[in-house]
Amino acid sequence: MTDAGTTNAATTNAATTNTARTHAATADAATTGYGTDPLDPASGLSGFGGADGSPRVSYLLRVNGVERPVNGAWIGESLLYVLRERLGLAGAKGGCDQGECGACSVQLDGQLTAACLVPAALAADSEIRTVEGLAADGTASDVQRALAGSGAVQCGYCVPGMAMAVHDLLERNHQPTELQAREALCGNLCRCTGYQGALAAVEAVARSRAEAAEAAEDAADAADDPDDGTGGAEQAAGAVVAAEAAQAAEAPVAEPVGQAVQDEYPVYADVEIPGQQQGEPENYDPLFGPMDGLGAEQQFTQPQAQPQYAYPGYAQAPQPEPYQAGYPQPGHPQPEYPGPGTPPEGAEPGVYVLPHQGTPQGMHQNTHAPEAGA
Amino acid sequence: MLPASLDEAVTALAASPAAVPVAGGTDLMGAVNAGLLRPMALIGLGRINELRGWQYQDGTAQLGAGLTHARMGRPDFAALMPALAEAARSAGPPQVRNAGTLGGNIVTADPAGDTLPVLAALEATVTLVGPEGGREVPVSHLLTGLDPMRGGELLGYVRVPLLHAPQVFLKATGRTGPSRAAASVALVLDPARRAVRCAVGAVAPVPLRPLEAEQWVSGCIDWDGDRAIDPAAAAAFGEYVAAACVPEPPQADPEGLEGGPAAAAVRLRRTVSVLARRALGRALK
Repeated sequence: MTDAGTTNAATTNAATTNTARTHAATADAATTGYGTDPLDPASGLSGFGGADGSPRVSYLLRVNGVERPVNGAWIGESLLYVLRERLGLAGAKGGCDQGECGACSVQLDGQLTAACLVPAALAADSEIRTVEGLAADGTASDVQRALAGSGAVQCGYCVPGMAMAVHDLLERNHQPTELQAREALCGNLCRCTGYQGALAAVEAVARSRAEAAEAAEDAADAADDPDDGTGGAEQAAGAVVAAEAAQAAEAPVAEPVGQAVQDEYPVYADVEIPGQQQGEPENYDPLFGPMDGLGAEQQFTQPQAQPQYAYPGYAQAPQPEPYQAGYPQPGHPQPEYPGPGTPPEGAEPGVYVLPHQGTPQGMHQNTHAPEAGA
Repeated sequence: MLPASLDEAVTALAASPAAVPVAGGTDLMGAVNAGLLRPMALIGLGRINELRGWQYQDGTAQLGAGLTHARMGRPDFAALMPALAEAARSAGPPQVRNAGTLGGNIVTADPAGDTLPVLAALEATVTLVGPEGGREVPVSHLLTGLDPMRGGELLGYVRVPLLHAPQVFLKATGRTGPSRAAASVALVLDPARRAVRCAVGAVAPVPLRPLEAEQWVSGCIDWDGDRAIDPAAAAAFGEYVAAACVPEPPQADPEGLEGGPAAAAVRLRRTVSVLARRALGRALK
């Protein structure tokens, strides 16, 4: 981190006295090259509502097990805004800002919550878990892989919220029925895929986790075998390895997905049915049953969408880069607040400050006067 | 600011009267995000443990105002207050139900608030705690403004009678899945008083009680037998409730205006009438 970072960290505990804040602002100005801090009430700018003396607070947020300081934030800022714009965790998406769409879902003290409806200042001593926290060691979690593998992703905007909702569901209910899965996902709006992929992903993960747990149990039973008295700890480690191996083996989730979908719902042309023909009679169509009267060339066949992990040669295909968790990388200084926009050409540095470009229209802006009677 | 007890919260509110008490924040932050509200200070009520539980008290249940909808939807709750549990379950998606609270629902007094018709039908009372101490107010008096909250007061508890009889909450929405109610009906039976109590939500700024219809239909029920009712009487009850709660539609929409106010009013009347008929049928089943 740069000077500004250390200065801000130092002032974090020093309450929010104006002087401390001004010092921080000066340090920011010195390092960023832009004159005034748009978040500082003393700077007299109205971009983020500082001029009217709206109250600001500093606090610590525990996000994914890491304490993150937030400095001089307006008290009305939502947790979503603070996560995205101040902490650089852009996994939670802002859709409606009214709690309707579920794209901003995070876990707050283990409860799935719409981050846009939580005042960040009041989440100060809560445990916050975002979608970045699901991906351990830079690899996507089983839920995320299942969502990708079962075609639940198209534009992808709803998927972080969906992944949080599925995680939350499977934490509380290891074998959700289809109705329970639908109820759990009812707050996550998806305008692309029609939810079938997400429901299939829930089922696939539930199944793979159950099988992994079973394998771990078997391994533990083997370890407890009294005939083999050597190294209980090693055996336990072996059990863990076996469980992981079982989970890894289950990772290609596409195979059970198709079957599950076909059992439960009407089959649509875009549903993936990988490996459907295996074990079926020659003239069997998944949609219409036995097709004895038709020649092979006349059969209606299900269009075979390519499952993510099952097409030939997948093992040889280069693996994509592991998913990077959204923390700022060392060596890349991150602004502590939504940074000033690019000044227009000819503008004097130090005078021109734009609100952050990512700020939705009408959010945190003074120009938005309260409407009478609304 | 996160007080840990109700007294601390009242003191904090007295110290800074401009502060906004926040429980779940689901309604408040919606207004803040839309630019309709700029709080000068917040008092978080989420850490007040005494408000987050409930207990029995003299044949009634004393519910903390901080009970979330998710908590109210659980089976133990549903066994005692089925209509309230059903309203809480249908109040919104899990993300909102995990945060939104009973007290917030009452204080916000949104016309489409789902627990409000249930509380009105149950004739619940609320305990308001202020610097001068607490006072009990019927929830209908609070909602209609007959006895509004005074400055510096916080909603502490909601007292709900335990009737040990069927209760039904039904709501009509614009989509499958949880969303804002177009109309909702809560109906509870009170066998001890041989009464049916019914409240219609979301059609007016406050939940409405069709008292005459209630009185009439409770005379049609065979209370000593199997609590059966003639289907025609149930249908008439639906019409009665709808006529009482939705104003007379205008004669006809102007030329060329389809789906205008007259059509909307007719549709709303039909919706309320069907909801009330079904609610009665399910309660007496």
